[in-house]
Amino acid sequence: MIKGYAGRTLTVNLETQEHHFEPLDEEMARLYIGGKGYGVRLLYDMTEPGIDPLSAENPLIFATGPLNGSVAPQSNRFAVVCKSPLTGGIGNATCGGSFAYALKRAGIDILIVKGAASAPCRLEVENDEVRILPAADLWGEGTYATQKALGKKYKHAVIGPAGENKVLYAGIVSDERIAGRTGVGAVMGSKNLKAVSVTGNHKLEMDDPEAFKAYTKTVRELFKEHPVLGESMKRFGTGAILNTTNGRNILPTRNFKYGHYDEGMSISGEHMEEHELVGVKSSCMHCPVTCGRDVEVEGVGRVKGPEYETLALLGSNLEISNLKDINEWNYLADDLGMDTISLGGTISFAMELQEKGAFDVGVKFGDPAGLSELIRDIGHRKGVGDDLADGSRRMSERFGGAEFAMHVKGLELSAYDPRGSYAQGVEYATTNRGGCHVQGASMYFESIGPLTINPQNLKLKADIPIVQQNLGCAINSMVLCIFSTYGMIPAAIHNMDPNSFSHRLLSRLMENMGPLFRGFMGIKARPMVWWEKWLTYITGQTLSSGHLQEIGARIFNLERIYNLREGLTQEQDTLPSRILNEPIFPGTTTGHPLDQILPRYYKLRGWDNNGVPTAKTLKRLQVRT
Amino acid sequence: MSITVQLTYDMAREVGSPTIQVSGAETVSDVLKLTRERFSQDEENYAQLTRVAALAINGVLINYRRGKKTKVQDGDRVSFVKAAAGG
Repeated sequence: MIKGYAGRTLTVNLETQEHHFEPLDEEMARLYIGGKGYGVRLLYDMTEPGIDPLSAENPLIFATGPLNGSVAPQSNRFAVVCKSPLTGGIGNATCGGSFAYALKRAGIDILIVKGAASAPCRLEVENDEVRILPAADLWGEGTYATQKALGKKYKHAVIGPAGENKVLYAGIVSDERIAGRTGVGAVMGSKNLKAVSVTGNHKLEMDDPEAFKAYTKTVRELFKEHPVLGESMKRFGTGAILNTTNGRNILPTRNFKYGHYDEGMSISGEHMEEHELVGVKSSCMHCPVTCGRDVEVEGVGRVKGPEYETLALLGSNLEISNLKDINEWNYLADDLGMDTISLGGTISFAMELQEKGAFDVGVKFGDPAGLSELIRDIGHRKGVGDDLADGSRRMSERFGGAEFAMHVKGLELSAYDPRGSYAQGVEYATTNRGGCHVQGASMYFESIGPLTINPQNLKLKADIPIVQQNLGCAINSMVLCIFSTYGMIPAAIHNMDPNSFSHRLLSRLMENMGPLFRGFMGIKARPMVWWEKWLTYITGQTLSSGHLQEIGARIFNLERIYNLREGLTQEQDTLPSRILNEPIFPGTTTGHPLDQILPRYYKLRGWDNNGVPTAKTLKRLQVRT
Repeated sequence: MSITVQLTYDMAREVGSPTIQVSGAETVSDVLKLTRERFSQDEENYAQLTRVAALAINGVLINYRRGKKTKVQDGDRVSFVKAAAGG
């Protein structure tokens, strides 16, 4: 077995109550690394086309990668893969905390949960011992109470009432982190599976542990000195970008009607640090960045505070400027086990529907009254909450308003308005799981980072998403935190005067380096960046940027053909009508020019005009269909 | 002619408001001069407050237009924007 892997897959069938261990498939590990990539390959192979995502036929796959179980900073993440009940296509999400470390310690790389139990149950794994236990006593409990009741011996991945009630954007919670997107929690709920608890004492074997140890020490020092990883994220959390997106006119406001919120500063990371922050204990295990925020919620106590996405989608997007309200809603969503991005996007859609007289949701923009109750009702599918629990796409099919339903493929957009970030728009339109930012984060190179290209011309707008999506697929298969990539931009760039001639020159150079950019990223040479070196020290395989771009492209194309198999087509490679047609920048008369970029994106991907990967592309990437 | 200047968090703390209004400016350069007048004379402090802050008009960086010579119009919003990371 390649070093860095536990070498075992555990399959548990909740229907038959049987389980078995199998050796990890080494060839698959070489081709897909682990995590998301390995999980997607399994899902594709294990399922028949067209299965109901909420049926027993949909497996729920918990997947780690070779970095998990080590002490590499930001490496305590696991991936969850299944067919998404929200989009009908590929479902996946990753989650931090400590579960990934514990799963690896239990000697398991991949945990596949098949079938569905006839009554609420939970799964407990300790090395070779696997127990399916009744969980009726926990059914209905929130994620906080559930994990507390299960105790500290094990690390847990649990659902709350939202998962039990199959809210289509329910997530799986571990510690105070969440695998939030695409409804993985609803799939867990459909299996009557309340919790997975793991522990063990297996040790991770590395190819060169001494080199890993020494290099990790160096990286920790590098992170400590880095302006983002060692300073802004540590001080302000992910909310550090809110004032930036607000200044760049891409902060979703009033259901993406606007890109700027006058009260934005009062819900920013800086404001949180000054007025609300009480600690950083909710951060992930072994992570020196500690971007997690602890806040006090009245009547509850100290809990994880909201991330940027939540601040925007439950804040500016609803025109709410009181951080204490958002803290409380964030806690409620975490405890119920729901994705705050889809939650916020669906609520803002319902508010706009209400303004048009098409639906009575009972809450309105700019007014916090009734929102706590509405969030609880969504988690329990009570009253109008039952409609909102299905997400904005299904609501628009029932009540109209498709032109302002802010989703792609059914997944609500995250908090970057693509009208001021064209590459991010292409990423939203083409990412296989839908309107998501963490499969690429193209906006970092056009709207929020220290060196950005012009986000509103056509240069590099197909190239950046491709490189970033490929990298994202690889990162989510190691499994590493995507925030690690922020460290790639050296301090010297951060310290440049952004209004200087030299900065402008660099920006122009970057903008015009299209083929060079892709070529440079595709070079299969020596590992240079920390995750490449960690992978190499741990597994003994040489994995450079070029290798990871190839593996990432393989995973991305496999996801694509999975989606095509499940009935998604190029018609879903689009953006909401509001984004395509309504201008928000003075001097512009329309929205995002997606139709001018998409053909080039398809071509660079090696897809035909219908967005289908060609046989040549699949062969080159060794994607078996 | 009134221009809204959106400040960085640290600048806002200094003047007690997230934005200030300036009038009589024709270019970004004028806006910067008028903004500077609202802060204390301490040059070092002001340099620190505005350090690595890019400038944007209605969300578009002046680097993609005519830099500090870019003309401003009544109702424009000029923002001091610092690079950041998160998600």
